[in-house]
Amino acid sequence: MASFAAACRVSARLATRRLQQDVTVKSFRTSAAALAAQNFTMPALSPTMTEGNIASWKIKEGEKFQAGDVLLEIETDKATMDVEAQEDGIMMKIMHGDGSKSVQVGTRIAVVAEEGDDISSLEIPADEVSAQPTKAAEAPDTYTPAPPNPSEPAEPPKSDSTPKAAVKPGHKTIHRTYPLYPSVEHLLKVNGLDKSEAKKITPTGPNGRLLKGDVLAYLGKIKADIPAKIESRFEKQSHLDLSNIKVAAAKPAPVGKSAKEAAPAPPPAPVKATVTLPVSLSAVLQAQKKINDSLGIFLPISTFIARATDLANDELPVPKGYQPTADELFNQVLGLDKAHSGAKVSRGAYVPQVGSLTPKGAVLPKPTAAPAKKDIFDILAASPSPKLKATASKLSPGLSAVGPNVFSLQVPKDEEKRAKIFLERVKLVLENEPGRLVL
Amino acid sequence: MLSQRLLLGRTAVRSALKPSGSPIALASRWSRTYASQSEEKDLVIIGGGVAGYVAAIKAGQEGMKVACIEKRGTLGGTCLNVGCIPSKSLLNNSHLYHQILHDTKHRGIEVGDVKLNLQQLMKAKETSVTGLTKGVEFLLKKNGVEYIKGTGSFQDEHTVKVELNDGGETSVTGKNILIATGSEVTPFPGLTIDEQTVISSTGAIALEKVPEKLVVIGGGIIGLEMASVWSRLGSKVTVVEYLDQIGGPGMDTEVAKGIQKILKKQGITFKTGTKVLSGEKTGDEVKVQTEAAKGGKEETLDADVVLVAIGRRPYTGGLGLENIGLELDERGRVIIDAEYRTKIPHIRCVGDATFGPMLAHKAEEEAVAVVEYIKKGYGHVNYGCIPSVMYTFPEVAWVGQSEQDLKKADIPYRVGTFPFSANSRAKTNLDTEGFVKILADPETDRLLGIHIIGPNAGEMIAEGTLALEYGASSEDIARTCHAHPTLSEAFKEAAMATHAKAIHF
Repeated sequence: MASFAAACRVSARLATRRLQQDVTVKSFRTSAAALAAQNFTMPALSPTMTEGNIASWKIKEGEKFQAGDVLLEIETDKATMDVEAQEDGIMMKIMHGDGSKSVQVGTRIAVVAEEGDDISSLEIPADEVSAQPTKAAEAPDTYTPAPPNPSEPAEPPKSDSTPKAAVKPGHKTIHRTYPLYPSVEHLLKVNGLDKSEAKKITPTGPNGRLLKGDVLAYLGKIKADIPAKIESRFEKQSHLDLSNIKVAAAKPAPVGKSAKEAAPAPPPAPVKATVTLPVSLSAVLQAQKKINDSLGIFLPISTFIARATDLANDELPVPKGYQPTADELFNQVLGLDKAHSGAKVSRGAYVPQVGSLTPKGAVLPKPTAAPAKKDIFDILAASPSPKLKATASKLSPGLSAVGPNVFSLQVPKDEEKRAKIFLERVKLVLENEPGRLVL
Repeated sequence: MLSQRLLLGRTAVRSALKPSGSPIALASRWSRTYASQSEEKDLVIIGGGVAGYVAAIKAGQEGMKVACIEKRGTLGGTCLNVGCIPSKSLLNNSHLYHQILHDTKHRGIEVGDVKLNLQQLMKAKETSVTGLTKGVEFLLKKNGVEYIKGTGSFQDEHTVKVELNDGGETSVTGKNILIATGSEVTPFPGLTIDEQTVISSTGAIALEKVPEKLVVIGGGIIGLEMASVWSRLGSKVTVVEYLDQIGGPGMDTEVAKGIQKILKKQGITFKTGTKVLSGEKTGDEVKVQTEAAKGGKEETLDADVVLVAIGRRPYTGGLGLENIGLELDERGRVIIDAEYRTKIPHIRCVGDATFGPMLAHKAEEEAVAVVEYIKKGYGHVNYGCIPSVMYTFPEVAWVGQSEQDLKKADIPYRVGTFPFSANSRAKTNLDTEGFVKILADPETDRLLGIHIIGPNAGEMIAEGTLALEYGASSEDIARTCHAHPTLSEAFKEAAMATHAKAIHF
């Protein structure tokens, strides 16, 4: 009887071995064979993994586990990963304990049984791997690299059982789930290589894809380092070249042929104009005092000025020489400009400089050195046009509580009128009813 | 309490000023200015062009609170409003017109009086543009993006001040800020663009009548597309190009020569290796002075309209970069790192305003990647695999490296070509100009570059781009089934010619 059972076992094993790579047949086979104890082999947790260390077993011998439980932790040179159980089961025997080093993929590391089995009465199956060194970890295009469940009909079949204790590696693992490229598959076939052989070839394609060149190098048809060299070239090209960035200099030096070839006469440096207007702050001081007396809040004069400035910057007429941009012109073509502003106005960005008049009369600030001559680079690089902001005045800065104060602005010549209107508005607001600016 | 008073007070000042005839125009926006200040955004995007609106939609989909600031009044930027989209409308319809006029008789179609209605042609273009920009606006809304119509500028590192298009001002603060301000036309020194006689690409898609003589300065993609449009509509077009080849430096030399021959046959005059010295406007005419680039032969070209198409430059004007101390490089590009961060890490920049080719699809890729960097810490753009297309007829498209690139870098390669004249579908269409050219590594057969002249090249290049992205070999393409009879068979045959031999040639 025993010998009959053994004979059955052997023949069953032979049959299954032949079918191991065929996924569809595999499932058919496992349901039919319905076994109890199964070998559990070292899974390949990434396409390139060949061996790994067992950090620790989370399930001890004799313990039950459920689908999704972490069975063990495996360390590779890249990471530590959990291996989860896909089915419920019992850990029957651990072959490679905690801390086992360099366990080859496909080596039997444990034996598991189905839930409900009496493990004391189960036979430990033979180690399949020694007989079939590579098959265990193969089938690159299957979803799970789980051991192919070599099986022993040691017990009477348990009807409708599904594959046993199949193991699904932890979520961190990467599988080569895509099909091989047509050229790769063709080369493998033509050269009599098994698909499983493809696992041994180092891929150099994007995201670890196996390329025709990799197979050619593996076959020794081209030099082994060529695919990697090409890959590094592609890698370089895949990034923006951000080396040698030259920060725009304040005054770019005119360089080379290109600067000369088309350079017209440089446009004249913009002429600056200074607009000044004396403003009496007595009304502001009165208002300030009033607020302080009645509300107990001290508001600095700068607050009044800032608010007046803000107000006065609204809807200033556009300067005379205003050049509409290409976009604005196109918007005009489309009639989009009429959608929002009928009159030619825009908001200013003026900040007046305030200074007190010296007894001998105002000495107007000299415009700061005219910007350097524009060259072609300025034009091409569109260096920002002169700022609208007034430059610092040297006119005895600060407010004077007694004498008249002078508000000044330094602007391009074309904007003189615009600036003047701005200052007049500031004056009007500050001299008439400054209290309403804050109350 | 006090702030409330301030609000009331300000309005009061305005009304107080008005009756006295003050120069300050009344605009009741104070309350609005303050009221519209909303909560801090996760991402504030300056620019609603391809980079900006794509980033806005993507960020909205990722559940971020987003504001997108655009001053044009319509979304989509240069591409949708004055670039890719309107020009494609004109290219398509002008091709149709030209074909009806010149290319029907031998096909067995006799057409009577063919008339051009330029106004209607432009209207068709505008309908396409409006439809698309409105579509983008809808998408922003759908993804919960706040769309602010106005001009944004940096107030500080987290605050963007917006001068609203319909008056007033607001400001938005953001944890992250994205600069996506794009680019503008590079003007030609000495020729002021007025969009009437001296035009940029913007004017070239909106001319009111067909110019008799059109001179195009710059034989790059934009120049050649516009040259095609107006040449088909009846202009006598001369293209002046400084380099020895048209199509820009990125186009494969063999391809550039091929398309130049074809376009010349269509009636466009080319002056390559020629530089423009100056241009002078006299009345309705412009005289363009040229000289051979290597010195010597001078020539004067008369034109009714001169198109300046020498390139585009980053546009960051009025953005207030100086307020936050951001620097530009010598060509005006915003300086970034590999994750699109400026030196202020929460301020990033993508698209034409920074490095890389100025292409809408590149900006779009970056926009998605930058949002992924912000949200997930990793994004992906493969700069080695960005296709270029020129929409002349036939179209020109390429991806990867050109033959001259490879030669220059001393990289070995193998070439496989297949002409459309040997392709059955092209034959039946009577459009047999052009070829497919594939460059691959001689040993591993990995694809290095794909260059196509031909009808539908712009669509066909997608297959090449996909293959290149996946590191495929020419054999992989050749072993993939292509439908018969299609133009794409030429692509497959060129792949066969690269590693083995084409069947039909």
